[in-house]
Amino acid sequence: SWLRRTGMFLSKEWLWPRTVMQRSRVACNKMTFCTVLKKLHCWKCEAPLQTPPAFFCPACLVIQPLDENINFFDIMDCEISFALDVRKLQKRYMHLQRSLHPDNFSQKTQQEQEYSESQSALVNRAYRTLLKPLSRGLYMLELEGMKLEGDPGCGLSLEFLQDILEISERLAETQSQEEASDIWHFVRGKLENLIGEINKSFSEGDLNRAKVLLAEMKYFANIEEKVKDKVSQIQ
Amino acid sequence: LAGKMAVAMVKRCCSPLFFFRRLSAPELTVSLPYHKKVVDHYENPRNVGSLDKNAKNVGTGLVGAPACGDVMKLQIEVDEQGKIVDARFKTFGCGSAIASSSLATEWVKGKSIDEALKIKNTEIAKELSLPPVKLHCSMLAEDAIKAALADYRLKQQDNDKTAHASN
Repeated sequence: SWLRRTGMFLSKEWLWPRTVMQRSRVACNKMTFCTVLKKLHCWKCEAPLQTPPAFFCPACLVIQPLDENINFFDIMDCEISFALDVRKLQKRYMHLQRSLHPDNFSQKTQQEQEYSESQSALVNRAYRTLLKPLSRGLYMLELEGMKLEGDPGCGLSLEFLQDILEISERLAETQSQEEASDIWHFVRGKLENLIGEINKSFSEGDLNRAKVLLAEMKYFANIEEKVKDKVSQIQ
Repeated sequence: LAGKMAVAMVKRCCSPLFFFRRLSAPELTVSLPYHKKVVDHYENPRNVGSLDKNAKNVGTGLVGAPACGDVMKLQIEVDEQGKIVDARFKTFGCGSAIASSSLATEWVKGKSIDEALKIKNTEIAKELSLPPVKLHCSMLAEDAIKAALADYRLKQQDNDKTAHASN
């Protein structure tokens, strides 16, 4: 009957979001609530898993579903820091993708294929976000609940916008390879400076300053891209 | 030499990535097609350029959207009757930002200052059929109009003050 079939469908617990099954919200004291992570178990053999991110079951070696909310720094096994070791990040990325890539799971069950696809995509996202200083910094702000979106000024001065307008005009109008190269060097210099300053702001815990500097960096990163377009146009 | 070394370093860093490129899973990229009105303004922008920013009857608005790294300059020229007779813009940003500011210059022309102040971003967004993710571009255009009008008013006040002082 329809009812029995629906009942069977609902009883298949793997159809439920894992977070519903794994997380329980308990009151720590009168004032605060915190999320306690219950010990996770393998979906297949029920063996206990390591602390997140647990990509595979240590007992039966089967791929595990990942919590989408897991911190990118945890996925990539890095400390939360703006001054991140990019070589280490790349090594970790290749190590993870070698074992998680969907190609490795073409002979496995549908469920394992799905877990591999979502894990692999998540690792890609984490890697790409942490690789570039700009996206890494913006992600660090996001972890602290801060965003550039929805803040029209972001603390940028009128002088800064004037400088950006001027350099954008110069770039748009030039037809000379040399001037485009001058602009590139200028912008690279600015970006290098900003990376140093942003690193300082984060290590001092000055998030508001980091936010303004990241907004400035966004502008210079855009111009850097435009210089590349321009150079290939002139050639 | 330093430059060459830098290039070599970059190549060395990137080569393993290139080799393992197939390792990355395919990802869905969503690209929103622009509405034909946006494309029209983008391909044939109205009133691009600059007015003399030092002129007493010219107001300049310069605004930015740090989340996208866009910058927009909008200028108005006002005649003695307080009517906006000319408007120009320069925008470095996405198609929607360019279209929004292009449309804004068309709309402010021929209006009085008070009328121009009433232009709302929602009207710009509606005219260009902007998707929700691009609404901030129309807000930027509204901010640019307001900033230009404020700059003009400030100049007129200064003008009045100097006129009073010289009397």
